[in-house]
Amino acid sequence: MAEATIERAVVTPGHDGSAELLVTIRYGNGGSGHVSLDAGAAERLFDLCGVTRLEDLAGQPWQHLTHILDTPGD
Amino acid sequence: MDLIIRNGRLVDGTGLPGFLGDLGVADGRIVHVGGRIPGRAAREIDAAGAVVAPGFIDPHTHFDVQLLWDGQARPALEHGITTVVPGNCSLSLAPLKAEHRPRLVGMFQQIEEMPDAAFDGAFEWTWESFDGYLDALEGKLGVNVAPLAGHSVIRLWVMGDAATERAATAEELTAMQALLRQCLEAGAIGLSTSFVDVDEKLQPVPSRYAHFEEIDALASVLGEYGRMLQVVPEFYATDITLARVDQLAELSLKHQIPTTFSPLFDSAATPDNVNRVLARVSEQMARGARVWPQVQTRPIDISFTFEVASLMFAFTPGWYVTMRLPREEKIAALSNPERLDELVDAAEPGGNIERFESVRVRAVIRREDEALVGRTLGDIAAERGSTPARVMVAIALANDLQASFLAADLGHNDPARIGPLLAHPMVHIGASDGGAHIQSFATYGDTGYLFRHFVRDRQDFTLEGAVKKITADTARIWGITDRGLLKPGMAADITIFDPDVIDRAEEEVAHDMPEQGMRYVRHARGIEAVIVNGELAWSTQGGYSDAHSGRVVNA
Repeated sequence: MAEATIERAVVTPGHDGSAELLVTIRYGNGGSGHVSLDAGAAERLFDLCGVTRLEDLAGQPWQHLTHILDTPGD
Repeated sequence: MDLIIRNGRLVDGTGLPGFLGDLGVADGRIVHVGGRIPGRAAREIDAAGAVVAPGFIDPHTHFDVQLLWDGQARPALEHGITTVVPGNCSLSLAPLKAEHRPRLVGMFQQIEEMPDAAFDGAFEWTWESFDGYLDALEGKLGVNVAPLAGHSVIRLWVMGDAATERAATAEELTAMQALLRQCLEAGAIGLSTSFVDVDEKLQPVPSRYAHFEEIDALASVLGEYGRMLQVVPEFYATDITLARVDQLAELSLKHQIPTTFSPLFDSAATPDNVNRVLARVSEQMARGARVWPQVQTRPIDISFTFEVASLMFAFTPGWYVTMRLPREEKIAALSNPERLDELVDAAEPGGNIERFESVRVRAVIRREDEALVGRTLGDIAAERGSTPARVMVAIALANDLQASFLAADLGHNDPARIGPLLAHPMVHIGASDGGAHIQSFATYGDTGYLFRHFVRDRQDFTLEGAVKKITADTARIWGITDRGLLKPGMAADITIFDPDVIDRAEEEVAHDMPEQGMRYVRHARGIEAVIVNGELAWSTQGGYSDAHSGRVVNA
């Protein structure tokens, strides 16, 4: 089965009025899901993926997200 | 009679068409509704041309702390709110042992953005028990308060540090049940819990360490009193929220309790979220469960500064990379004319200024820039012969990167979707967060926003339907039996307003917290008078009165 990948990422307003990153994951079986990241987690995602643009997150492997969620920032 | 309100359009909370007539009050209760009341009363109000409605009830607030020095919950009261529910999201100021106060303060500061000054010397901690907290409010209240007891503090009381380490033992469960029972006996309207929030160390709050058996055990105590369970679900993830709806339904049916979860947001990024959640709620309601999703009326804004790398700057590599630079390098980069030109060109390609044109200046630290607060960057740019992006950078630099900006209406913001959602018979209008996030945005005036946009502009509601949603429906959902209707025998909580004007005013900075602490507020438009338990609490002419007629109310 194909690996799950990040399909897209968009900036959305969080409950507390801060900007958050809503990441859509496309799974190998065709299903999809969402993960919401705060600014700090989003920064780490950009770094792990080695990108600086939202658009460039598309196609990145989903494992970067699990790494972020397993290792909280400072 | 103590009070007669004459010639008003009586919109009684039932949803039935309003009718012209007088309303009489004696001893804090409504004694007469409709027709012409003969004779004179000690106080008379001429409400000709205005709507006379039950006082509005706000079911999701965090006024717990503010009520200790401001029992009128300003400015909520002037918006027609006569009853507030504090203690949401697992956090209340009681029951709380003295040794745990710093922990709770940290959680409040993290989650609700309450500043130090709100806790430091603004009041005296005189209580540990729930009834002790209510005693501390005694004589101060200008609004009615229907307080929730917070699961996190109950857990902290019983388990101490272990509250954020593990599940509870059988003995600890029994102790938590006994403590919750004490809170309910003292006057708590229910229990709040959270599956989402984190403390000041970004660790889960105590309630998140509970196994389902613990919530079930506490819900069984709520069942003894038929009182509310309020929950913050994982609202950003639809599938998990659906699972929480099912959990709440099971608890509701098993223990015969009402439950409510908040918030439920609409977002263009997840357009199927609301429909899927409401479909599941409808299925569970059809089974007889009471699971009420709370939906706020106002859209969500984004605040940002140049101090941190907000995702608002992630639209181009140039901006995002610059914002992530160390502070001094960032200032140097933004001060470099060539670099600035590149950034401006990226933000405003081909002279298209729409990205930052409608962004407003929220706060500045330089006194000479204070007149900019509230104005759009487009407006300021036009005045200066510049562009919005260039002006934004200039203001940020002039204010040592500490100026803040507001991009309004970026989420929960499509009136064509929000209007029908609010009017859905299974949606509970709430989630205002009144008294929280005070240094990020104003959480006041959601009711005015409802009437302005969804009654007058879009007509998703009749006037009577909107009044019912935020009065009688709210009282029924929470089991408050003596409020929410204009009816003889009911408590005389009354809001008088101009239906053609009622609205929220523009957001503004106020320095009315302890030690001149800053917060954002919105004042009311179109509210003429607010009466709490028969006493005039606020009026257009007189402002806030000295009446402290608020009470603790429960189911």
